[in-house]
Amino acid sequence: MTRYVMVADLRRCVGCQTCTAACKLANGTPPGVMWRKVVDIEVGEYPDVQRVFVPTGCQHCDEPPCVSVCPSTASEKREDGFVTIDYDICIGCGYCITACPYEARHKVDAPIWAYGEQPMRHEQARFDERKLGVAQKCTFCVDTVDAGLAKGLKPGVDPDATPACVNACIGRAMAFGDLDDPDSNVSRLLRENKHFRMHEDIGTGPGFYYLWDKEELPL
Amino acid sequence: MKPILASGPWPRLQRAWDVRAACNFMGGGAGAGLIMASFVGALVGQTWLASACLGLALVGFGLTMVFFEIGRPWRSLNVFLHPQTSWMTREGVVAVPLFGSGAIALAAGWLGWREAAIAALALTSLLAVGFLYCQARILRAAKGIPTWRNPALTPYILITGLTEGTGLFAAFHPSAAAVVLALLILRFIAWRRYRRALGQSGAPEASLDVLDRLARWLLIGGHALPGLLLGAALLLPQWPALAVFGGLLAAFFGLYAKLVLITRAARTQGFAIPRTPVRGRGSSRQAASRPGWASR
Amino acid sequence: MAAVQSTSVKWVPTYCYNCVAGPDLMTVKVEDGVATQIRPNFAADGIHPACGRICVKAYGLVQKTYNPHRILTPMRRTNPKKGRDQNPGWKPITWDEAMNEIATRLLDIRARGLSDEGGYPRVAATFGHGGTPAAYMGTFPAFLAAWGPMDLSLGSGQGVKCVHSEHLYGEYWHRAFTVAADTVNSRYIVSFGTNVEAAGGACAVWRHADARTRGIKRVQIEPHLSITGAASAEWVPIKPKTDPAFLFAMIHVLLHEHPRAALDVAFLRDRTASPYLVGPNGYYLRDPQSRKPLMWSNGAAVPFDAADAQPEIDGRFTVDSAVEVGPDGKIWEHQNVEGVTALTLTAEAMRGYSPEWAASVCEISADTIRRVANEYLENASVGATIVVDGRTLPYRPVAVTLGKTVNNGWGAYHACWARTMLATLVGALEVPGGTLGTTVRLNRPHENRLESVRVGEDGFMAASLNPTDKEHWESKPSGRNAHKTLVPIVGNSSWSQALGPTHLAWMFLRDAPADWPRPSYPDIWFLYRTNPAISFWDTRQLSDTMARMPFVVGFAYTQDETNWMADILLPDATDLESTQLIRMGGTKYTEQHWAHQGVALRQPAVAAEGDTRDFTWIAGELARRCGLTERYNKAINRGAGCMPLKGEGFDFSLEENKDYSVDEIWDRACKAATAELSQGKDVHGLDWFKEHGFYVIPFNRADWYLTPTMIEKGLRYELPYQERLFRVGKELKSRMNEAGHNWWEEQLEEYEAIPRWHDFPGMWIKTLKKMGGDPADYPLWGITTKVMQYTTGNNVAIQLMHEVAGNVRGVGRVMLNAKTAKNLGIRRGDLVEVRSITGVTRGEAEPVNGIRPDTVVIPGQFDHWATPYAKDLGYPSLNTVAPLSLDLTDSTGSGADVVLVSVRKVEESVQ
Repeated sequence: MTRYVMVADLRRCVGCQTCTAACKLANGTPPGVMWRKVVDIEVGEYPDVQRVFVPTGCQHCDEPPCVSVCPSTASEKREDGFVTIDYDICIGCGYCITACPYEARHKVDAPIWAYGEQPMRHEQARFDERKLGVAQKCTFCVDTVDAGLAKGLKPGVDPDATPACVNACIGRAMAFGDLDDPDSNVSRLLRENKHFRMHEDIGTGPGFYYLWDKEELPL
Repeated sequence: MKPILASGPWPRLQRAWDVRAACNFMGGGAGAGLIMASFVGALVGQTWLASACLGLALVGFGLTMVFFEIGRPWRSLNVFLHPQTSWMTREGVVAVPLFGSGAIALAAGWLGWREAAIAALALTSLLAVGFLYCQARILRAAKGIPTWRNPALTPYILITGLTEGTGLFAAFHPSAAAVVLALLILRFIAWRRYRRALGQSGAPEASLDVLDRLARWLLIGGHALPGLLLGAALLLPQWPALAVFGGLLAAFFGLYAKLVLITRAARTQGFAIPRTPVRGRGSSRQAASRPGWASR
Repeated sequence: MAAVQSTSVKWVPTYCYNCVAGPDLMTVKVEDGVATQIRPNFAADGIHPACGRICVKAYGLVQKTYNPHRILTPMRRTNPKKGRDQNPGWKPITWDEAMNEIATRLLDIRARGLSDEGGYPRVAATFGHGGTPAAYMGTFPAFLAAWGPMDLSLGSGQGVKCVHSEHLYGEYWHRAFTVAADTVNSRYIVSFGTNVEAAGGACAVWRHADARTRGIKRVQIEPHLSITGAASAEWVPIKPKTDPAFLFAMIHVLLHEHPRAALDVAFLRDRTASPYLVGPNGYYLRDPQSRKPLMWSNGAAVPFDAADAQPEIDGRFTVDSAVEVGPDGKIWEHQNVEGVTALTLTAEAMRGYSPEWAASVCEISADTIRRVANEYLENASVGATIVVDGRTLPYRPVAVTLGKTVNNGWGAYHACWARTMLATLVGALEVPGGTLGTTVRLNRPHENRLESVRVGEDGFMAASLNPTDKEHWESKPSGRNAHKTLVPIVGNSSWSQALGPTHLAWMFLRDAPADWPRPSYPDIWFLYRTNPAISFWDTRQLSDTMARMPFVVGFAYTQDETNWMADILLPDATDLESTQLIRMGGTKYTEQHWAHQGVALRQPAVAAEGDTRDFTWIAGELARRCGLTERYNKAINRGAGCMPLKGEGFDFSLEENKDYSVDEIWDRACKAATAELSQGKDVHGLDWFKEHGFYVIPFNRADWYLTPTMIEKGLRYELPYQERLFRVGKELKSRMNEAGHNWWEEQLEEYEAIPRWHDFPGMWIKTLKKMGGDPADYPLWGITTKVMQYTTGNNVAIQLMHEVAGNVRGVGRVMLNAKTAKNLGIRRGDLVEVRSITGVTRGEAEPVNGIRPDTVVIPGQFDHWATPYAKDLGYPSLNTVAPLSLDLTDSTGSGADVVLVSVRKVEESVQ
């Protein structure tokens, strides 16, 4: 089996939003829609304070609440872990948006351009009418991964089979790969480091792991 | 141009469903309640045609408003594709026969075919219960909204739907005052139970602020005042206006509470981490609370 | 309708150099002739220190290209009046008209003389951040060289927005125009407000992330918890502008709480002036004949370069016969005079600065200060070695780095000295793991700082100070900021003027001291990638000054606050549209330590928008119309484009009187660069570079460090004692007093041989009172901080940056301590007013816990009123409320981003 997951090393992330920007370009999302973003979280009170940068987006959960609530079956979960949206089926009811505890889903009803009324040339070129009025979210760059796999590339290793945010990260804080492959980069990272997932108590089984310390490995 | 607001980890007001979606819960709940009340009324020999008609209209109004909210309304038939797990599909699946049997009941009633009408109304009423239950479960399945997903909201949604419907029914039949009063007490208990559950599980602080402001209105306008009016109506049956006003007040505040629950008290989960990372030779600490959350 | 399938898709390699922490190598996706995406250049994996990654700013370049607010054709001002309230009335004109108008004026200037009656150049130019415009202006430097004297003193923030003291003193002490930790080898970094995670580019973020995973400890000492503070192991919230006290206390701990043997005694003895004996007048005791500084070795005074000397680094010794050489050649002859080693004097000077003393100044516990000092020493691993590129070098994995506001204005000299001393005491200066310089700009050659080390006087490196002796002191300033007159240490290289006290130029244009020649306005002022009307201080007044410029030519991307006062706007082709070859690699600027060096090409990934033109075309056209083609071509041949076109075994020189196309010039530059780098083995032209993007050769990692070169040349670092600067200060004071100038007195006091603590925060309070303010009315310290999205790059009008920066707390807002906010009745999102004695700025409040209760932080530089998009953001800016003040200017001509302010709520949050 294959289970693709994302791993973010919170020790390395500096919240620069390079992944956010790279995602926006790679996926042509309109202003205000960030499939990937890094949240700036403060913990503690002055002067005993820490500040943490937490990359988020669709967690491609094991039990995605967005999929179960979806009335149209537009949202689906693939066997290899990707949670997908079929833009041609989605009715844009927004239910999945309320079902997602990670604020990962968005809906845009009318074209939005960066500078007012008219699209810029690249916005026009990237505009996809199918995404209007339907739910959209991080795809883990599934098209790139699939295309890379078709060429025999390894997701998370070869840039042409790897999500844009991972490719772009300047802190090497993000990793992507197959959790079911014990030799994959993500499996190794999770083995060697302590980690958590966000809002685990809600029971969605997120496919997005956060590293926070190295694991004390047996000698 | 308005700046895009800084995001941060705090729970945000959900904007996926606005007043149009709220109308579905308001119309659906009150309408379903009114259909059920009409059925019970019919069983005890009261006229029911007008009230049942209004109940169906309310449900229909709610669904129509949803039609205007969804992004791709002309694909709305796709709503029926996922009955396996989606309470929204189930709501739709129930709504179709609800209107079918409701229409038969109304037609039969209008034509004076009492038995057939009562039978159809019974079925409609049963479907209305199902419809209302679906609505309650829709909210519960919305895991991104802590104030909706709390299981204690389910009985409240059910009871307030019944209360609103029966309250409206009392406007047609003031003799229903006792039932409304009983439901009011139940609704008050359900509300308190819901609010207590939120306090125990924790919830976005801003949601609790909104709910607590709402609770004051709900207590006075939605329970105490209609309770007094309905109590007085029981003592003074010669003044049916007391029951009418009591019922309408109970319904109005129930509807208002749902509007607030959907549009103003519904904040997202927000972002939180259980602990901080170890930067170099620094140390990790556990987060004491979720940003923007409170338990009270 | 789905997105149309593109018929032509290609990825074009190019570079981003929007900040000094570059270049970063990237590729642009071009679909049917339209740039749609940016990606790292993965071919640079293993070459670029961040494996070809690019920072967030590069992703804005697509929007930058197609921004509808761009100026796409030359414009002429039709409104003769200038001012914020005067619409320029732009009228599109042709390039021919624009160039004709400029050339006519330039030719007129050449006819009248390049300098005016006052001796000031008639042409001035202002370029933006840290030399980055040079990576985009093609061959314009060749035009500048061909032109002759040009005034670069009208700064755009230099001295107040850069790490100014580090530039000057860093380069003076260890050829460190900028200073970085040797992060890849370091184990412990004490960072005083260095926001390297926000401003250090992809390479810094990558290196520091690796270091954290490896287990480095970085202690971030700063008033608010910046992005870098967040990513550090520890945050120490120090009171603004008290950093020197903390640093002095660390030195105190090392010198007075540990035995000398715990320090790097050999380094102090052999590589520094620690053993030099200082006489009673504060100057080195020198051999009466050779005038060489003396040391005490084996019971006798010996010259500093005596063979086999084993000099004492501590102690007081009686010298039979010696002289002291004071200012203006004054000689004190001594017999049986007591000489004190420079280190002993330093230790005595630092004796009073205990952690307990610093605790009350910095408002940090003495335990914390002492612990940091002890951890620093413990991690220094004195005595350890490491092998780099086959060479055994000392290994001292500790560093101290200084941020912008620590490095500017009063106290900056003290902080720089103390930082360099901390490295010196443990031998961590310019060795693996330690505190390193990255590049030189005041010395040459710029591309190789090791080669810039020349043997100077007294066993030190040669220093190019501006003369202060009677005969050579420039009493009449030749530039509008008087850098040669007032700032000896800035020297007179091509960068010196722009690093001089650039805000003095702006101040003196309006209001020079009575006894000072008031400078003239330049006849022509050129602007490129700069917006001083936003990036300087007291920006309202600065705009008024700009409005008085007689003729301004702005190379313009969009309308902005500075080119609002321009007469002609010239739209240049931008990042994805133009051609240029630049150097990369080696060691350079912020955390740029490469194991490669070479060149990278910027190329037109897409056709230029509108009638924008390649800067090289503009430069050539200006040269041609001014009759300067020969000089222009000669300058290109000398290397003004990138590298000299002629070298050993190759000659791609331009014919001197011929006009060349843009591609012809860069084709030759590409060939010359590859021939030079490969020593003739490879010659690649423009077409090869268009396909491959860059060309590199290995760079020796051992060349990251200066100390081996110092050892080879038998040189010592000019530390701890600042005899030369002490003397220069005395001379400069004499010159100024002789000329009757008494308004630079406080600055002249800064020339201390061993820096002493002064009440630096008190200087702001004193200045406030002098300006008529009551400190009680301005109880908070206003400071600023950088965020990566907006740090340099001129991208304030880029919607993408605005959008993603919204995820970073405080951007576009006023951050203040949560409890302070509560006391002031301020909640998140409330509109607040930040008021100083000179100005007011407004923005939404963001209460946070990671900030001192007495501090307010306004990130970035905003408050735009003309730049499209940016002017609608409504963001606050510290620059609006920071005064340009002579009283707050230090001896290098620098000021710090610190303002005393008050904060009050204006409006409730609409949330």
